[in-house]
Amino acid sequence: MIAGHPGTGSEEIVVAGLTKQYGKLRAVDDLSFTVRPGRVTGFLGPNGAGKTTTLRMLLGLVTPTAGRAGFGSRRYVELDQPLRHVGAVLEASSAHRGRTGANHLRVICRAAGVPVSRAAEVLDLVGLTPAANRKFKGYSLGMRQRLGIAAAMVGDPRVLILDEPANGLDPEGIRWMRDLLKMLAAEGRTILVSSHLLSEMQLMADDVVIVAAGRLIRQGPVDDVLGAMAGGAQVRVRTPQPAELTTALTAAGAGVTELPDGALSVTGADPAKVGHTAFAAGVELHELLGERADLEQVFLQLTAGKAEIR
Amino acid sequence: MNLVRAEILKIRTTSTWWVFGIIMLPLWALAVLYNWGTANISGGVDPAESGLSADQAEQLRVANEAVNVATTLYTSGQFLGVLLVMLLGAIIVTNEFFHLTATTTFLVSPVRERVITAKLIAAILLGLVFWAVTTILNLIVVPFVLHALDYSAQLGDPAVWRAIGLNALAFALWAIVGVGAGVLIRSQLGATLTLSIAYVIGTFGASLVFYLLTQYVADWFSKLQVLVPTTASTLMISGTELPGNPPRWVGAVVLIGYAVVTGFLGTLIVRRRDIS
Repeated sequence: MIAGHPGTGSEEIVVAGLTKQYGKLRAVDDLSFTVRPGRVTGFLGPNGAGKTTTLRMLLGLVTPTAGRAGFGSRRYVELDQPLRHVGAVLEASSAHRGRTGANHLRVICRAAGVPVSRAAEVLDLVGLTPAANRKFKGYSLGMRQRLGIAAAMVGDPRVLILDEPANGLDPEGIRWMRDLLKMLAAEGRTILVSSHLLSEMQLMADDVVIVAAGRLIRQGPVDDVLGAMAGGAQVRVRTPQPAELTTALTAAGAGVTELPDGALSVTGADPAKVGHTAFAAGVELHELLGERADLEQVFLQLTAGKAEIR
Repeated sequence: MNLVRAEILKIRTTSTWWVFGIIMLPLWALAVLYNWGTANISGGVDPAESGLSADQAEQLRVANEAVNVATTLYTSGQFLGVLLVMLLGAIIVTNEFFHLTATTTFLVSPVRERVITAKLIAAILLGLVFWAVTTILNLIVVPFVLHALDYSAQLGDPAVWRAIGLNALAFALWAIVGVGAGVLIRSQLGATLTLSIAYVIGTFGASLVFYLLTQYVADWFSKLQVLVPTTASTLMISGTELPGNPPRWVGAVVLIGYAVVTGFLGTLIVRRRDIS
């Protein structure tokens, strides 16, 4: 093993039986999941679901009541040079108000034993170079998020963890961040992003981990989770011969229900298959529309009744 | 070592240190004037004819010895200087919580006692800078003051240099106390106010309490007064052994005790605390 290069497997985030009890409140409850490298993983849950607490336990900032969280088999504190392995963006406003952005990063470089020149590189990476010598108190929320990401990239880490990074970013900023994270994942890094903005996650994440009330609700590739929960994608079809089409589709193994407006809703078949079946049966079609399940619907469905204020 | 350099960079890249430095200068000037005035007044009193008790007369006689006048003057600025250094030590810690940078700091170095150790070292170095500046100023100005009081400069007396050296130790130890206190009281404002008030009011309050105890309860209470940290640091820098007071090293021991307890307690607490 090369020095400073943790063994294989340490790029995988492993959370096992993780529990945190705050007084009477069980903020995180026997939570287990894994996050794979080379993909963007969305960590989803309503506010108060225990996302931030989980991330803080993963990073050694909060002590778990039970269970463990780490990188491969190692906990954060056991990593040799943690900043070279894991970068984290936890709070947008985490810099001294009177310190400039560049100095904030220089302090981190110093502490991490990275050449101070790295500060300018990461500033450039996040597009903050023009504001490098301005004090932090003059930064907008979006600039603060960018500075946070720059700080996380100081050690050029293999694993990147971001807590609600889209907060305070304008649409342009969100798009920028999405592209950056996808690029970093394409380089083989592990990216874990917590968010309650589902539409954003649908655009960005390859995998999702959904939690509510401190418990795991579902984990897997976005498409699988969507498919499994909405009973697969649905196809909306309108025809003057509904009886014939229903017979043909049922024979082809699809499920058909009639909608109140007279159209048919087909499950278990994609639009191409529905069109082909209709063509083969000589049925005339007036409308054929594939309806993708929406992560937001699935999410609300999954977390219904579990997102109460605790 | 990286962490110490990072802590020093943190101090350098904010304005707190030079604001405190600017506050320090008039306070130092005031301290020199105060010590000059005191020496002038007590020097004009003849212990034999002042109607003082034998003990008090003896104390006054010793205090008026050239070497003791000199050590007091050459360490001018200690009382308020160590207060500022203690506050800076506390702020080095409370800043992290006030500005939410504790998260970043402990991500860079998850072994938290290393962070506190780095902060202790940085605070000590900062304390020594304050000591060095006041000492240089004293070395420039005090010979003139002593001359005005009809004493020689006394710089040939090793007791003067020992007092100056022990004064450095006092600055360093108070910096440690500050860092420890900053961990115990995490609120920036809370820590600053509590420490300032405890330092100033506490010093005079404790003197009063010990005076009353000594007068009305038992004489031996006066021996315990060295337990008051400010008394301990004043005792450390006296030129000769003062009659009626514990020896100098007791002051040093008491102050080291406070530094060790607060530093140790602070580190222990930071190790266990959840950072959120």
